Amino acid sequence: MNSAYLTYAGKRLAQAAIVILLAYVFTFVVVSILPGDPITSVLRNPQNGFSEEEIAQIVAAQGLDRPVLEQLWSSLSGFLTGDLGLSMRSHRPVTTMIAEVLPSTLILATSALFLALVLAVVVAYGTQVLPKRYGQGLLRAFPSLFLSVPNFVIGLVLIHLFGFQLGLFRVINPDSAWATFFAAVTLAIPISAQIAEVLIASLDHEADQDYIAVARGRGLRPFRLFTRHLLKPSSLPVVTVIALTIGELLGGSLITETVFGRTGIGSHVQRSVSTQDLPVLQAVVSLAAVVFVLANLIADLVYPLLDPRVKLLGARTPRSPASKPAGASAP
Amino acid sequence: MTDRASLLSPTRRRLLRATSAFTALALLATLAGPAATLADDAKKEGGDITFLIDSLGDTWIPNNSAISSFQGHIWGHVADKLVYVDAQGQASPWIAERWEQNATATEFTLHLKQGVTFSDGTPVDATAVIANLDIWSAGRKKEGINPIFLFPKTYERAEAVDAATVKVFFKKPTLGLIPTLGYHGSILISPKTIAQPATEQADLSKSSGSGPYIVESWKEGDHVTLTKRKDYNWGPAAVGHTGPAFLDTITYKLVSEPSLRIASVQSGQADVAYNASPQELSSLKDEGFTVATPRYLGFVNGLAINTKLAPYDDVKVRQALQAGINRQEIIDTVYTPDWKLATSFIQSNVPGATDHSDLLVYNPEKAEKLLDEAGWVKGADGVRTKDGKPLLLTLHSNPYLAASKSIDELISQQLGKIGWKVVIRAYDVVTFGEKVKFGGVAVPAYEVTRSFIDAGTVAGILTNANNGENWFALDERDTVINDLRDKIASADTLDARAPLLDALQKYVLEQGYFIPRTEIVQRIYVQSPALKGEVYNGVAYASYYTATKSEVGQ
Amino acid sequence: MTLLSTATAAHLAPTRRRAALPPLPVVLSLVFVALVIAWSLVPGLFTGHDPIAGVPADKLLGPSLAHWFGTDHLGRDLFARVVFGSASSVTSALIAVVIGVLAGGLIGLVAGFLGGWVDTVLARFVDVLLAIPKFLLAVIVVTAIGFDTINAAIATGVSAVAVFARVMRSEVIKTREATFVEASFLSGGSRWHILLRHVLPNASRSVLPLGVLHFGDSILVIASLAFLSYGDPPPASDWGLLISIGKDYPKWPWLVYAPALVTIATVLSVNRISRWLRTTD
Repeated sequence: MNSAYLTYAGKRLAQAAIVILLAYVFTFVVVSILPGDPITSVLRNPQNGFSEEEIAQIVAAQGLDRPVLEQLWSSLSGFLTGDLGLSMRSHRPVTTMIAEVLPSTLILATSALFLALVLAVVVAYGTQVLPKRYGQGLLRAFPSLFLSVPNFVIGLVLIHLFGFQLGLFRVINPDSAWATFFAAVTLAIPISAQIAEVLIASLDHEADQDYIAVARGRGLRPFRLFTRHLLKPSSLPVVTVIALTIGELLGGSLITETVFGRTGIGSHVQRSVSTQDLPVLQAVVSLAAVVFVLANLIADLVYPLLDPRVKLLGARTPRSPASKPAGASAP
Repeated sequence: MTDRASLLSPTRRRLLRATSAFTALALLATLAGPAATLADDAKKEGGDITFLIDSLGDTWIPNNSAISSFQGHIWGHVADKLVYVDAQGQASPWIAERWEQNATATEFTLHLKQGVTFSDGTPVDATAVIANLDIWSAGRKKEGINPIFLFPKTYERAEAVDAATVKVFFKKPTLGLIPTLGYHGSILISPKTIAQPATEQADLSKSSGSGPYIVESWKEGDHVTLTKRKDYNWGPAAVGHTGPAFLDTITYKLVSEPSLRIASVQSGQADVAYNASPQELSSLKDEGFTVATPRYLGFVNGLAINTKLAPYDDVKVRQALQAGINRQEIIDTVYTPDWKLATSFIQSNVPGATDHSDLLVYNPEKAEKLLDEAGWVKGADGVRTKDGKPLLLTLHSNPYLAASKSIDELISQQLGKIGWKVVIRAYDVVTFGEKVKFGGVAVPAYEVTRSFIDAGTVAGILTNANNGENWFALDERDTVINDLRDKIASADTLDARAPLLDALQKYVLEQGYFIPRTEIVQRIYVQSPALKGEVYNGVAYASYYTATKSEVGQ
Repeated sequence: MTLLSTATAAHLAPTRRRAALPPLPVVLSLVFVALVIAWSLVPGLFTGHDPIAGVPADKLLGPSLAHWFGTDHLGRDLFARVVFGSASSVTSALIAVVIGVLAGGLIGLVAGFLGGWVDTVLARFVDVLLAIPKFLLAVIVVTAIGFDTINAAIATGVSAVAVFARVMRSEVIKTREATFVEASFLSGGSRWHILLRHVLPNASRSVLPLGVLHFGDSILVIASLAFLSYGDPPPASDWGLLISIGKDYPKWPWLVYAPALVTIATVLSVNRISRWLRTTD
């Protein structure tokens, strides 16, 4: 830990904080462009039949007719002091709402990430050891295929197949082990494709290196060669792609949770979007930004451990945003 | 509907004993069907059911959520009402054992049932009822607690005569009070809950009602589990049972995919699915599932025409529209025979509704003739034009009715044949509320889905007097409808009101102000055959208070 | 945001040279994409059925010779709806890519070429866009500008801006620092000349395959938005909307499978073509 590192770390943290804060403001600005607000839209339900006058009265009583900047200021100062405010839709504290559903989404996201990794490594391993002509070509097509199937189609097919036909899980109990597994599979498939794509490319690159040819010449068995010599250096871009896709796990949970009927962050977002529940949206967006920023910070710290060829804190400036694989990403 | 007759009939006999302003109705009701009583001890105790629902609404503040199509189900089991209104619109005693009113319908005296308590132990007495009346009428707008819209705006105050008697005062005659007390918005909530701030009221587990079930657990956007209240013995006599409920628990579980709700009931994973796609109902029936399509009391599903907007300011164009829609084809294609043809612009089960189906016959030749007369000439592409403008109809599909888009698409095909160019806009709930209003500048037709309890309020809604909604943008231009409105408002008996209501229905349909599509079924239930004995009230909510579940059949 | 510079995925891809003729899967992909493009340009040539007006009596028929994909709940020919829906699906994906490439490309170009504080400000903006999950961003943007297919396309494009900006910027920096560009500077070439002559053509070489890839991706994102009913209402027949409507009729599975398979085949073909473009570069 030298002082250069500390300066760098401090700078990175400040950057991260700015990004999170800006994401919060960004959401406010985007959602505020909208005409109307959640309260008015609920009141306008024809079943309610409130007159426009009555609606205006209620909206004014809630302080929603204040100037936008004033609303932004009070929202931002709340955020800085850790108060995420009240949901406009349910009138409950946003913190309580998020805390209630966070575990469910965390379980889904971590199992999906784990499954995606396993799937990606298996597919990538296959591309290295299977006979070139037949098995390989098929496996190499996998990531591409995974990235071409809409997430909700995978979910619907899995539910009908395993939930109803085989009766492995009850759809009305989406938190059961099997239901969580299949929801995680749905979420994992596009993520695994992205990881596999990068992993295969990197493995191919490493496999062309001289030292691999030497190892192969020594008669090293394929599995050993794979785990010993190929996987470790190839995991470097994998770490990068995981850090980048971690946000997609949250984005993907929007659809997966809706299809599987899970109550989580994603399903909260869907409901909040349709009712323009700004405080909840802002909270979720900043949460996603926090996760993303942290994941990338960790990825940077993990790099040198994976590949000794990488020198931490070289002469280069830490600003090299385009360095990451810009591969495909799916919803 | 016949299978429920046995459950409803005790109501009708009990009605006779109610000293109410509705003796006439009660008399009518006794004529309907032979009476049969179900013995309570023959019913099976226990059992748990799961009800799959497409949403659990927004907030749980009682005032804001009681009228929700979704949360209303839960409130219906957790809270009681002063008056019970059945599927035929008949009001009968519940927490209010009987009631009297003065000659001008400005003062009502409610006599409360004794020994009723909220689940937090507070008695349901005069003080509690007054606290409820006050918050229904005014809400607490600063905190975001809305008033109950349907509660009469003429409300002045209420006072306790003694612990079990409440006197309610109105500024003007309010004939509709009693049925309104049975409306889904008028739920009795513990005064302790009412005194809580809005954020506390938003937590469902902290609200107490006096209903046959209490909230055991809930999670926002996920489920609500209700458990039976063992000491409950004040059910509405009209449903034929007053003791504790039979089922131990009811779980309302949110499953937003319609196909998943149905498939779960089909595979025995749940007992009831709400809001199924109409297309599936006939095959579900064949498989032995109970399908219920209760109709609420209210307007039929149809279009309120904006008479300010050309060409709909021309009565001939409106009449052509009335004749150019094939309502039978809507039922055949989009719905099932469970749906009924509209016979008026109010549902046929509303007391006071009369049959005007002769005005709603599909007659494309007549429609084409009317359009020819109005000067709309068919062009080479089949679209009629006048002064270079095409005959255009923009339909905004109602986001609150599942099949609305399909019906609009079908109407577009039907009207297309006689030269109409139909544009369909489907907005989400938020945008719909923002952009689509009665008489809006770009809204030639507003698609109505609206329930009400008392037909006497209809005329007021259609016109613009007294905060009316001016549905047809007539303002004060049509003296006929305004005259009918005033006469209906000042009618002091139902007998005097009936012919006026009939004239109103005929006039509105003849003028093509309101274009009915079908009678509305906004709530569709698909139910496991093992579950029996549920009751549907005047706003088509299912109550499982009287229901039982047998083990066989699963 | 990261410490080090690893090669982009595009460069990690195998660099084996291809023969002049593309491999069979690529040929098939090209043929299928050509077919879809033809569907969207002249749908009337491919089907005699009307996509909007159906025969209500013929509702929910299974696939047959008369109706290749069967009919829907209003008796409309599903194949006709898929064919007529391709225009909207293809155009919206195209709009999304164009927005992503143009807006992202411009931001990346300006940031990379000018450097300094402009770069810093733009980099922070891109960081913010990147920190919000793409699909969440698309959902929020489409809510803000209203629910229809074009808006869904715009939202999808906006959510892709960050990726394009990053790639463009790094390519611009790489090219700028390349010896031939430095040489051009030294020999007195104007900034504009260098930008247009050297930087842009070089940078676009890696941006274009990414654009093709994003075309497939955009079809999926827009379909997902339609699935959550943030797209055009019926009687439009975007593929995502068709799947979304079809899922309400589980008894008639072709209503989901037919449009889903067409979507998958299209995205798969586009991805295959993008991969081929990258490797033959």
